[in-house]
Amino acid sequence: MSHPFEEQLGHIRETLLLMSSLTDRNLTLAVRALVERDDRLADLVEAEDADIDQLEIDIDEKVITYMSTHGPIARDSRLMLAASKISTNLERIADQATTIARRARALNTEPQLVPLADIPAMATMAQRMLHDAITAFVEGRFELARDIIPRDKEVDDLNRRVARELTELMMQNPLNVTRAVNLLTVAKAIERAADHAQNIAEEVYYLYQGKDIRHETGLQG
Amino acid sequence: MHAPHNPFGYKRTGKRSVEGITFWMIRLGTYLILAAATFIFLQIGIKGSQTVFRAEFPFINTEFLLESPSTLYVFEWEGQKMEMGDDAFRKFKAAKGVDSIPAATYAHSAGGIFPCIVGTVLLVIGSMTIALILGVCSAIYLNEYAREGWGIRLIRLAIMNLAGVPSIVFGLFGYGLFVVFFGWNVSLLAGWFTLAFMVLPVVITASEEALKAVPQGLREASLALGATRWQTIRTNVLPYALPGILTSSILSIARVAGETAPIMFTAAYMIGDRLPWQVDKLTDFFFQPVMALPYHIYVVSSKIPQNEYTERVQYGTAFVFLAVVMLIALASILLRMRLRRNLQW
Amino acid sequence: MDQPTQTSDRTDTPEAAAPRPAGPAIEIRDFDFYYGSFKALHDITMTIPSGKVTAFIGPSGCGKSTLLRCLNRMNDLVPEARIGKGSMEIHGTDIYGANIDPIELRKKVGMVFQKSNPFPKSIYENVIYGLRIQGRAKRSHLDEVVERSLRQAALWDEVKDRLHTSGVSLSGGQQQRLCIARAIAVEPEILLMDEPCSALDPIATSKVEELIFELKKQYTIVIVTHNMQQAGRCSDLTGFFYLGRLIELDQTTRIFTNPSQKQTEDYITGRFG
Repeated sequence: MSHPFEEQLGHIRETLLLMSSLTDRNLTLAVRALVERDDRLADLVEAEDADIDQLEIDIDEKVITYMSTHGPIARDSRLMLAASKISTNLERIADQATTIARRARALNTEPQLVPLADIPAMATMAQRMLHDAITAFVEGRFELARDIIPRDKEVDDLNRRVARELTELMMQNPLNVTRAVNLLTVAKAIERAADHAQNIAEEVYYLYQGKDIRHETGLQG
Repeated sequence: MHAPHNPFGYKRTGKRSVEGITFWMIRLGTYLILAAATFIFLQIGIKGSQTVFRAEFPFINTEFLLESPSTLYVFEWEGQKMEMGDDAFRKFKAAKGVDSIPAATYAHSAGGIFPCIVGTVLLVIGSMTIALILGVCSAIYLNEYAREGWGIRLIRLAIMNLAGVPSIVFGLFGYGLFVVFFGWNVSLLAGWFTLAFMVLPVVITASEEALKAVPQGLREASLALGATRWQTIRTNVLPYALPGILTSSILSIARVAGETAPIMFTAAYMIGDRLPWQVDKLTDFFFQPVMALPYHIYVVSSKIPQNEYTERVQYGTAFVFLAVVMLIALASILLRMRLRRNLQW
Repeated sequence: MDQPTQTSDRTDTPEAAAPRPAGPAIEIRDFDFYYGSFKALHDITMTIPSGKVTAFIGPSGCGKSTLLRCLNRMNDLVPEARIGKGSMEIHGTDIYGANIDPIELRKKVGMVFQKSNPFPKSIYENVIYGLRIQGRAKRSHLDEVVERSLRQAALWDEVKDRLHTSGVSLSGGQQQRLCIARAIAVEPEILLMDEPCSALDPIATSKVEELIFELKKQYTIVIVTHNMQQAGRCSDLTGFFYLGRLIELDQTTRIFTNPSQKQTEDYITGRFG
């Protein structure tokens, strides 16, 4: 027989899941807006961002209410902390997605600068990190969560390479600067999104194992 | 090697010795009481059983238990000392064809005490019924309905004082009110009420205690379900107080059976020729005097000259009397045990 | 102990019971209450909505139990208790007004006590006791009533094979659920619970709380509790009492996340005393 309070915990998890799905989708759409040079996708991303922001508020309200009325302990209290932090990180990822979408729109006004070889690769890695973190949350797979953490370094490395390439392009021709700067912003946004996905993975690990693995040097590749 | 120091060993202190002495004095006191009780019971038992029991079958002196008292005739016939009761003597004289035989007579020393047994049992049953009804009703009123105030305190004071009134005064009260004023004469009814009033304080107090012992929670739960006060008492308080009430009545039974003074002028008479149920009308049953065991002991011990024959009757009566009281008490205990089993709380 | 059977038909299914009257269940206005010369309740004004669980919280001696017992006039049993001013209306009728029979009131406002008090009778007799004394014990329906009440009290499965054993032989938590079954067997409209879990272990407590969750679909429930978490878990509305006054009454979620009175916050965060 499920207890009434389990329903409330269930609501929190479901809301978090909803937010993760929307964020995941927004990130995907934003990258597609860039790659496919589609302005309508960019508009969609910006429109959806408001919903994601509202969900962050909803989750925090649910969390504080549940904590105050039920005084949870053990895994329930970890869920409270993790839920709040994951929602914050998701909201930031969504913000980064919005940034990407806006830059994509700006880039679409001019012809494409370079085949964006590394940026889509970065984007894919970041998306996969987020996706895996969400899977780990839903299925309780903390080892999957832990394995996400070193992957952030790869994204960072790619980001550095992209920055170098784009700097060269800027030095070659002043006309490239606007587009290059936009692309730099996009790369930075993707790198940040990957950071936030790593944070989410750390929170998921904490949720299921009760161990705080943030800032542990051994794990970070 | 020395044994290790024992931190929990016995210590000889003054306090321990005082405790020991006190404990032994208490023990001694208890044994003294036990000894006194044993002495009394043994004496009655030994001397009484000589009258009540017989060597041959059926081992009980049925004559003693089932016949009315009659005069004992002791005489000599052809060199033999014979003892006979009234009827037997008459038959003997007729059989021998003589009108009279010189004999020493001893009143009350032949026959038995059957009417006394019957009388005592009737008195006990009647008076206890009245006492229980009146007592339990009063206890219910005092404990469940009455509001604390000076009126109630006055009533309780009166009840307490009643407990201290000497039994002879009860006898006078019964005589004045029931025998004379109500015009019942010396009768079973007068005896019932007099005895009932005598034990009423004890019954009321004990019933109140029994009612108080029922947890308040039961009353509250019952009232909270929409019961009236009386419904609550009837279904949820009284049944559980009943064992306690009956227990207290056991002591009262002994008192009611044993007191002579209250029944002396209100119910008992020395001797009668009819048994209580041999009446013409039903109402006559209540208005007839009865013989009673304690009164019979009094009569046999002081109202007639003493000799070895009367001593036999005295101790026999005392023995039977104790047996009757114990039987009634046993019945009450059994009843209480059965009630307690059914109403376990 | 047979009561005359009711001539009208007893309907036993909850759906067929009389529809709950609209409007708030209980309206209290400026209510004062005295025990002798001691003023136990001051100017209590509150509305208790129907179909919801309202919790009374507060430190010992704050008057919450007193107020609860006023709702079904159980305080009438206390010799020196009396109301001062004010009114207490249940479904629009002032229960301290003229022409009010407390017996009739208690048929509609049931109570479960802190210390469970099952009668030393069989479980079956316990549950139907209320119906018997109210003269509603129609023999053909009794079995159904017993099963329904015990099911609602989440006790049926545990005792269905021993309905004729004594109610006192059950465990503490079971006894309390039996008392709840007994109270709801008479189908009151309002159920008052005076610290129902204070004598129970956590598992029994959790069972009773789930029960309250279910019961509130059918009854208006007012619960007095010392246990903050219980008020938080079970209730929709919470009233905080202190020294005989109602300090704050609001939605439970609001009281527990951001109460408007400092006293309330000090109490629930444990800063009192």
